[in-house]
Order: sequence, then C-alpha cells, then structure tokens
Amino acid sequence: MRRVLLLAVLAAAVIASGCGGSGSSASGGKVNIVLWHGYVDVEGNALNAAAKRFNATHPKIHVTVQNYGNADYALQKVLTAIRGGSYPDIVYLYGSWAANMARTPKAVDVAPLIKADPSINWNDFWPAERQAVTVGDKIVGVPALVDNLALVYNKKLFDQAGIPHPTADWTWDDLRAAAKKLTDPSAKQFGWAYVADGSEDTVWRFDALLWQAGGDILTPDGKHAAFNSEAGVKAATLLQQMATVDHSVYLDNGNGNYANLFNSGKIGMLFTGPWDLSSFPDVDYGIQILPGDVNHNTISGPDQWVMLDNGDDRRNAAWTFLKWFTSADEAMRWSIATGDLPIRASQTRTPDYPKYTAKYPGIDTFVQNEENAVKARPVIPTYNEISQAMGQAIQAVLLGKAEPKAALDQAAQQVDQILAQGS
Amino acid sequence: MTRRLLGSEHAAGWLFVLPAVVLIGVFGIIPIGWALLLSFQHNDLLTAPTWVGAANYRELVHDPVFRDSIRRTIIYTLLFVPLSVGGALGVALFLYRPIRLSRFYRTAVFVPVATSTVATGIIFNWLLDPTYGIANFLLGKVGLGPYGFFQDPDQALYAIVAMTVWGWLGFDVIIYLAALQGIPQDLLEAAELDNAGRWGTFRHVILPLLSPATLFLIVWSTINALQVFDEIYVTTRGGPLHATTVLVYYLYNQAFELFHAGYAAAVAEVLFAITLVFSIAQLWIGNRRVHYTS
Repeated sequence: MRRVLLLAVLAAAVIASGCGGSGSSASGGKVNIVLWHGYVDVEGNALNAAAKRFNATHPKIHVTVQNYGNADYALQKVLTAIRGGSYPDIVYLYGSWAANMARTPKAVDVAPLIKADPSINWNDFWPAERQAVTVGDKIVGVPALVDNLALVYNKKLFDQAGIPHPTADWTWDDLRAAAKKLTDPSAKQFGWAYVADGSEDTVWRFDALLWQAGGDILTPDGKHAAFNSEAGVKAATLLQQMATVDHSVYLDNGNGNYANLFNSGKIGMLFTGPWDLSSFPDVDYGIQILPGDVNHNTISGPDQWVMLDNGDDRRNAAWTFLKWFTSADEAMRWSIATGDLPIRASQTRTPDYPKYTAKYPGIDTFVQNEENAVKARPVIPTYNEISQAMGQAIQAVLLGKAEPKAALDQAAQQVDQILAQGS
Repeated sequence: MTRRLLGSEHAAGWLFVLPAVVLIGVFGIIPIGWALLLSFQHNDLLTAPTWVGAANYRELVHDPVFRDSIRRTIIYTLLFVPLSVGGALGVALFLYRPIRLSRFYRTAVFVPVATSTVATGIIFNWLLDPTYGIANFLLGKVGLGPYGFFQDPDQALYAIVAMTVWGWLGFDVIIYLAALQGIPQDLLEAAELDNAGRWGTFRHVILPLLSPATLFLIVWSTINALQVFDEIYVTTRGGPLHATTVLVYYLYNQAFELFHAGYAAAVAEVLFAITLVFSIAQLWIGNRRVHYTS
C-alpha cells in the first residue's frame, strides 16, 4: 500500500486524462509497449532510467513510461481506459485490487506464462507477494513493490523519558507503557500515532494486531467474519485503552499529518513502513519489529504490475520487460536507488546488497521483518466493502463512540451479509 | 423543402444554437439518460451489466446510511443557503457604502472563491486540528474548547458548513454588489424625500429591488449545497463515522470505491428528484415575491 501523496489531485487527474495507452503495436519490426505508473521524484527518475536501459539493450522492443498521477485512484483510471478501448500494456496497481482485476477479461493471467517460462524464478518472490497476486487459479500480476509495518521510534524522546529503546521481544504492555510515558499534554507530545479515518490505513494496522493476538479476518472457508473473535476484541481494546483512557495516541484524520509531527519530535513511536522514512530527515530514529502478543506478525502490502492484453506481440514484449525489470540484479539496482525493499529473496544474496543496507540505515530490520508477514488480507472482490465495515468499527472504538466487542460484532454482521451476497 | 427550411429564420436560429445543443446533449442529456438506465442495472464497471429492475431503489429504502445521508444533505443545505446568502447581503451592504479601502475589502472577500478547494481543505485541516490548530488555541484564550471539529462526529458537519460559507461568500457578495449598483438613484432619492428612513428604504426599496438577485442566489446556492462534495473529499472524506457522508459523497463511495455503479446511479436519481422539488418550490414562491424593475 504505497501512498504517493500528491497534493494536486485535480492536476493529476488532468494529466492522466491526457495520457492515452495508444502506442502503435508494431512499426518497423519494433514492438511498442506502454507502461502506466504513479511514481514521482526519486522513483520516477529510477523508472525512466530503467526504461532507457531496457530500450538500449532490447532493439526489438520500445517501452514508453507514462505517469497516471496518484496511484490511489489508478483503478478507476485503468477501468475507464479499458472501457474506452485504449489502454496500456503494463500498469502499476495496489495489491488490494487484484481480485477486481482478475474479473476483467483484458487482464492477462500470467499463471500459464510462469509455468512455461521457469526463468522468472517465481518462488523467489516473497510468499506475501505471491499470495497477493493469486486469485483462485489465476495470477494477475508480477510483484512490483513490497512493504511491511515496523516500529519506528524517536531515540531522543526515549532517552529524555529514560525509557530503554524497544527490543525485538517487546509486548503490547511495553508499547502501552512507553506510549504513556512519552505523552506530555503540556508539550502537545504523544507517545504513538494511529490513522483513524476508517480507511484501509486504519484497517491494515489493526490487522497486524489481530494476527499478533492469534486472530484472523475471515474464517478459513472465507464465508464468515472472524475478526470479532477474542483476539480481535483484545486488539481493539488495546486501541481503545490507549486512545481514550491514556490519551497517548495522536489520531490522524487521514491527511498524513502524523509524518510531519513525528519529524517535528511531537510523536514518540509509529507503526509505519519504509516509504515514510524519507519524511523524517530531522529525527534520529530507530527501527524495531512490531511489539507482539502471541507472535510478532506484521502485515505486508504488496503492489503489482498488471499486464493488459493488446494482442500477442505486445503481450510477449510486456512479459519480456517485466521479467527483465523484476530480475534480481535489476531489482537490486532499483532498491539501491529508491530504498524500496527487495522484492526477491535472492536479492539479499547479490553482491550489491551491502551497498543497499549501508545507504539506508536500519532498513535490514524491514527486510528481516518480511518473514513476519505470515498472513495476508483476503484477495476477494468484496474486500473493499469488508475493509470499510471494519474501518468504521475501529474508528468508533478509537473515538470512544463504541465498545470494542459491540463495534466488531456489528461490523462482523455486515461482513457476513456482504460475503453472503457476493459482489 | 430543404431550401425553404434552410432559408427560414427558424433554421438560422437552430444553426446558431447548434453548438450549445450538441455540447449540452453530449455532456448533459446523454449522461442523464445513461445514468437512468444504469440505475436499473447491477453494474460493477468491470463485467457485463445485468438488469435488476427496481431492485436498487428497493435496497435504497432499507439502507440506513443512505437515509442518514439525505438527512445530512438537507441539514447542510438549510444551514449553508441562509448563512451564505444572508451573510453576503450584509457584507455587500457594508462594502457598497463609500468606505476607505473598499476595493481592498472587496478583493479580500472574493479571494477564497478563487482559491483552489484542495488548498482550502489543507489549510482548514491544520487550522482546525484539535491539538495543534490555531482555532483551538485562540478559543482557549477566551476559555472555550478544545473542540474536535473535523474529528468529532457531532461537529464535523458544522465545521464543513463554516468552511464552505467562508469559501463561497465572496461569490454571493459580488452578485449583490452588482445588483446594488443597478438600483436607480432616483428611487433612493424619492425615498429620502418621503422621509422613508434608513430601515424603511432598505425594507421597502432596496430589498424588493434585490429580490431577483436573491432568488437567483438562493436557487443557485441550494443546487450547489445539495451537491456538496469537493470540500468534504479534501477534508473529512465522509467521516468521522459517516458524520459528513452527504448524498454525493455516498454516491462517490458506492460508485468509485465499492464499484456499485448501478446502486450509485439510483442514489443520483434520488438526488435529482430532491433538487427538482427544491428548485420548483423556490421558483414558484419566487414568482410571487420577486419584483422586477421594468
């Protein structure tokens, strides 16, 4: 779940409406393909550079890179483009949309391609990434990016409060106690922050807590809600106690203010991922895996490159590009340029890997933490609705408007209904 | 036959309005018809749509979030329209008098209208931040608050009203200033000669002569208020706990976040009906109360 925050949403929409996916398929024996993405700044430059390298080394293919604006709204844009009959060959999409894309006839099922072409080395991708693109017996994309949540903390605030820095065996009690000590109402300083807008940002942080307590989002058969179990209530109660009793949590209303506040030394700890680290230039921060209950599970937010079908030539060219772009060497080059986590396990064994950990201090905690990303969110078309129901419940608990058990039970009832109806 | 048609004044007239008719047809009439069709479908924008008859409408009747979103939309409209139109009348009367720096004040009042909604939203998010915002800081100085504003389900809608009234007041002021300038000077002089007094002049001369502008502003503001979306999208995103989920925001949520396009189209039809009722009622009342100078 990469959030490329673009303030000018409207401007982005204008730019996106200007891009067309219309590259003529073959001119002079050369196959032209188009790739859509939402990367800006460092990552945007890295992608342009990669496309240039690919075009220089592959005389039969030319890939054109186009920015579609804010990735948060990419699904609508891609669906509109498909409706209009002119769409790109490769598009960057969030993991949570895999099930939506699996239902689009234009999306290429890459399962047969993987089977026919062992050179992709599919099992080298992290398990969470492979789970995220697998919808039934279809595989709707190639992993593009992987994140996970860890505990990022302000070392200075911990030292000032006389609290030892978080360790890998921290428990929820340690988190709560430290947050309480780090909170100082007169200085408007909070121990922890939580995104409380009820969106997926609210929900996925809760998912990690739910899994840590041994719970699950849905029952194993996927037919019923399971998050209102004892584990879920325990997780929601932790949030309730910290937010409404200790008042040790800054509740972000979804506009990302928490990042500025952490950088200003107003917040002691965050549950966040590698994408936020570049927003903290003024803070000497440390990184630790999440505090745990039964276990120290985290949640992984993999995104993917989805291929759209524009005929055999362009499909083959797109596959060639993605294989090249996600190969261990090329992916390592990307990680070094951008700080993004390795998308393949074998990247950690490439000769350039030490260069990466040296350039991004503490990043190895995130890499190791990928092994704590054991469970994944359900990959089903109704996931957005489930997330919305859960988000409202968690928000109500955080704002002190509902009790954990009652709120989760009500959401579970809605989710059961959603699952029974299908989409 | 053709020649006679082409030569007639009728045909020339049609030719003149043709560009407008085409534009309104393509971007207005056709989408309206299409949305109506959509409201009788189950359509996720991905797979082939299916006809479901009136099922979407039947579901709407039993949807508590939808019912609450109608209630919120109407509360919002009933607050926004009088506050913005009434407030603008007061400001316009003040700025119309020959005061120092009146040009500067007129510009200042209009600036929020010209400011992008996204920028306004970001600024209000910080101004109204419960912990760090300047609003609570200033209110605290006089012993009030702290308030939750956008983060309190009981206050968020009113915070949106305040923000949008601030944002749109300038437009209404400009309309009123133009209307005030159109009041014939001899009528005001006559009122003075008749010893009408300031209140009498306002009540019996100025206010009636402003009534066409007032009618326009009320109808226009009501239509805008019923469709409020942008300001909510850039601040509260319908929350917290649906507190600012008005009709259009609910429609957006259903169509573009959950991909229930048919259901969202049914919401749009209900909004259309509400707007129609409001507008007809206002024009009907207006026709009996508005004075046109001729």
